[in-house]
Amino acid sequence: MASDTATGEDAAAGGRYNFNTVTAVVFIVLAAVLFFIIPSQIDTPLINLGGAGQSNLEAETFPQIIAGAFFLLGIWYLYISFRLRQHNQLRDLNLEAITNVLVTLVIMSAYVGLILYLGFVVGSFIMVFVMSTYFGNRNYLMGFVVSLAVPTLVFVLFTKPLVTSLPPFPVDEVIPNSWVIYPPLKYLSNKSIF
Amino acid sequence: MFESFLGGFAILFNPETVIMTFVLMSTGLFLGMFVGALPGFTTLMALAILLPISFFIHPLLGIPFLLGVYKGGIYGGSIPAILVSMPGTGAAVATTFDGPALTKKGEARKALEMALFSSVFGDFSSDLITIALIGPIAAVALLLGPPELAAILMMALIVIAGTSSGVFIKGLLMLAVGLFLGMIGQDPISALSRFSFGITEIEAGIPILPMLIGLFALPEIFVAIEKKASHIIESANLKITGARLKWSEFKSCLRTIIRSTAIGTSIGMVPGVGQVVAAFMGYAAAKSASKTPEKFGKGELEGIAAAEAANNAVNGPTLVPLLTLGIPGDNLTVILVGAFIAHGLRPGPQLMEEQGPLVFAILIAMVLANILFIFIGYLCIPLFAKVVTIRKSILLPLTLVFAFAGTWVFRSNPYDLAILVFFGAAGYLAKKLQFDVTPLAMGFILGAPLEYAFGQTVILSGGHIFSYIFLERPITAAIIVLTPIITYLMWRRSMRLRREFGAEN
Repeated sequence: MASDTATGEDAAAGGRYNFNTVTAVVFIVLAAVLFFIIPSQIDTPLINLGGAGQSNLEAETFPQIIAGAFFLLGIWYLYISFRLRQHNQLRDLNLEAITNVLVTLVIMSAYVGLILYLGFVVGSFIMVFVMSTYFGNRNYLMGFVVSLAVPTLVFVLFTKPLVTSLPPFPVDEVIPNSWVIYPPLKYLSNKSIF
Repeated sequence: MFESFLGGFAILFNPETVIMTFVLMSTGLFLGMFVGALPGFTTLMALAILLPISFFIHPLLGIPFLLGVYKGGIYGGSIPAILVSMPGTGAAVATTFDGPALTKKGEARKALEMALFSSVFGDFSSDLITIALIGPIAAVALLLGPPELAAILMMALIVIAGTSSGVFIKGLLMLAVGLFLGMIGQDPISALSRFSFGITEIEAGIPILPMLIGLFALPEIFVAIEKKASHIIESANLKITGARLKWSEFKSCLRTIIRSTAIGTSIGMVPGVGQVVAAFMGYAAAKSASKTPEKFGKGELEGIAAAEAANNAVNGPTLVPLLTLGIPGDNLTVILVGAFIAHGLRPGPQLMEEQGPLVFAILIAMVLANILFIFIGYLCIPLFAKVVTIRKSILLPLTLVFAFAGTWVFRSNPYDLAILVFFGAAGYLAKKLQFDVTPLAMGFILGAPLEYAFGQTVILSGGHIFSYIFLERPITAAIIVLTPIITYLMWRRSMRLRREFGAEN
């Protein structure tokens, strides 16, 4: 299937270096690295019965097949890449888009810390309020209410009826179990009823 | 198998849980329609972020909940497609050909009701066909041994990689990446630890939930935030106007709806094709069969009926390859596999044998969900029309809250949040470089059963695998020989459909 003209963007002729070529090289290098690290990345059995044992299958065999296929596909991709005329959508990203994506990544990373140190509800409140304001919400009262109400509801949903855990502080101390009408849902987590 | 079917009724109508099953299914339908009605928010994203809820409840409650989201989401996409010519989901693109024209004529209500009724008809009929087919196919699947299963899994993975959006070789590479990621953890034959790189948290493998949410939900968020805009649609004056749909109008489209249902049902059973193609094919078939094809594209009710019946008819049959052979047909069913696996139910031939009544209970619930579908859809059409104008600036961070909460509750491990963000960023990069991550997810999920079946085949062959397969296992040999031919034919058809309809995915 050399004429991989999936979206009509690919032309038949011409050999030109493009983003697909770079990606292909990255894949080839990854496949080669993967192939060579196989022996060091697979544990050896504590008791060696000799050879491949009764299974006739070394633990390395399947990973080697995959790494080999990965490498060959990378070579095929490299060969095809010169004829592909796909558009690199990363180039379409303007400064606003790049800034927004990076800001969101920073917010996400900060959110992990906020959840861990301030608890789920407070951490989420800060994240939602800051992010919604950054992305254009100017109705601060609504932003405040939604930022507080939705994480609280999510917290209650996951920790009470679904009986899982989220970093609690400070909501778990504020909402005693007796305030939440959740017993009717509690049996949902009991898998033994069937 | 018939005993399992009857057993399914007994499980579903267990007085202790039946009400809650239907409550959760209704909630799923509502949430699915809600998200589907939001342009830029896909059914896939909804399924991914709501997946964790299903992890902590019984599969009889959790899986119908997700099926509700799935069904509701596919229909919900038609609402903005009709009202503002912006498909809420890819499956509703064909609905934009006639929907907005009907809205301009002041017949938005009629168009929305036609979309609802044809969606429910398509969904309901295909669900019944699914139940009828699953038993016999599962019975045949049970006769397959490890060599046949390995060959079928390999063929399915290659076909899906080949027909996923984009370039064939890129799909195969994503599949190889997924297979590698699936190898991290323990070797399924000898249980030896591998590729953990000294990181304790992944010694048991990469956790499936953060990976699925990261790959399928976060990239959608990144794409949505590229442009700062408080609202998805600015100052839209959305009013549902016009007369209601008449029975005679529905009846006049019935032939088209039945045809589209048949198209959607047959497409649903083939892995890697999906709702978008079904909707376009249903639409094209209706247009070519019509006595007045020139009216199509200018506000023809039949056009909406054709597209909507076809795309919803795909929903049920996608479960046939999933439940009988363990092969998810598209990215939406990959998420459902996640839910099954979380409950210790690995889709495949053994599932029907071991958990037949439970599977049938889920399928019967899926059929009955269509009754709820009509009521919720009919009553909530005005509400979902308003959803189109909801503030994007608020909705996006709330989606993140769900994604992070769902990831955390899986193992209460901060490391999972890092995995979530990593796969989110990787998924976004893949999207921009025009790689489809569906083969990656499929490779990740199906890698372990494939390796296990391959290992068993090697053991059975006593080390002489080629002579064993080609001399003693003719079905396996036939599948291996047919794989490149089938892949080529399906790849060619998928390319032709893309060119014909100009659909990317």
